Amino acid sequence: MAELLWALGALAVGLGAGFAAGRRRPAPAQSQARTTDTHLTGIARLTGSLAPVWSAQIDTSRTQMETAVSQLTEQFAGIVENLDSVLASSAGALDDGHGGTFDRSRSRLGDVVGTLDEALATKRQTVAELRNLQTLNTELRQMSAEVSAIAAQTNLLALNASIEAARIGEAGAAFGVVADEVRQLAEHSLGTSERMAEKVGRAGTTIGGILGHAEETAEREDRAVNGANAEVQAVLDDLQALVTGARDSSSDLERAAVGIRSDVSQSLTNLQFQDRICQVLEHLRDSVTRFAETVADAARADAPPIDPDEALEAISASYTMDEERQAHASGRAADVRDSEITFF
Amino acid sequence: MGKTILVVDDSASVRQVVSIALKGAGYDVIQGSDGKDALKQLDGRRIHLIISDVNMPNMDGITFVTEAKKLPAYKFTPVIMLTTESQEEKKRQAQAAGAKAWVTKPFQPDQMLAAVSKLIAP
Repeated sequence: MAELLWALGALAVGLGAGFAAGRRRPAPAQSQARTTDTHLTGIARLTGSLAPVWSAQIDTSRTQMETAVSQLTEQFAGIVENLDSVLASSAGALDDGHGGTFDRSRSRLGDVVGTLDEALATKRQTVAELRNLQTLNTELRQMSAEVSAIAAQTNLLALNASIEAARIGEAGAAFGVVADEVRQLAEHSLGTSERMAEKVGRAGTTIGGILGHAEETAEREDRAVNGANAEVQAVLDDLQALVTGARDSSSDLERAAVGIRSDVSQSLTNLQFQDRICQVLEHLRDSVTRFAETVADAARADAPPIDPDEALEAISASYTMDEERQAHASGRAADVRDSEITFF
Repeated sequence: MGKTILVVDDSASVRQVVSIALKGAGYDVIQGSDGKDALKQLDGRRIHLIISDVNMPNMDGITFVTEAKKLPAYKFTPVIMLTTESQEEKKRQAQAAGAKAWVTKPFQPDQMLAAVSKLIAP
């Protein structure tokens, strides 16, 4: 660019000197005219040769920058898309993956523990009923003992009655028969009562054995269920810690990714400078071409002198951006204005 | 399915920047590299909004909008002009062609999204 400006300056000085030399002649001497024409023709040829070279250099720079920035933009766009994809899959994994699996596992394990608790409650009820049965058995044994006592008492009463009947003699014979029958019934009752007592006792022993076994089993199952509950809770706590850790990591990742995405987006926004610079370079290339054409036209023998204001106005008319016009008018670099939105 | 926006610009990097901003907000984006290419993109598609540059090779943005508005399917499709151009005359031409907004580059994605959501619901 410095080379271009230097050469443009040199050409301007050369052109100015050429025209000044021409204008200074009071009467154009033939040799001086030839010198001036040769000078102008040389400048025009130089300009005509340089313009395409400069244009090519400008186009090369513009194309290289456009290609590089486009590739950079595409790579950044790919980064943004990958970040979005990672964020989406991370959130999905926690919502429907680990988080969902944890919730389902907790529910299913809760069902299993509930079933065990129900079984344990049934077992406790069975034990309670066995205790009731044992109490009833004890009562039956007492009742059987009472029956035996009554039978013994009746037997003794019947024996006394038989003795009294024998002492009365003939008149008490019938009564003695009745007393014998009562004594036999009492003995029979006693025997039945003793057998009943024996069976009730055996039943009591069996019930006691079953009750003891049931109590022991219930106690063991109680311990097992409580242990299972504790284990399940421990597993759920571990899983919860795992899921919480994964969620925390995912949140950290998400925050980092959002930050990166924002930075990349801002970088992409800043890369819009390429579009503006490309346009400036295009206009500069067109100006160089126009300048060469102007010089070539001026080198013709019948051409009017170059009007610098007109030439600059023509260049200015080709601008599209405010900073181009500002730089043109001030001769200094212009700042880029912020974006403006106009609604129609 | 999000609404579809056609982004027309001869600068691939500008198309990418606009596309990223729009996709991030849930819009579907298709791209055209100049006015002629964009007219081809319109064919057989349902496009809810057009964002077009002004100065482009082959067919400039104002000519493209004028041609697009002649198509019955796009007669009422809102158009945002996104450009480095600052001449008031060009702005008036764009308005006459049927554009609804004029945004100058370099733009901030938030500004662009605000302009888009003002013209179509996300």
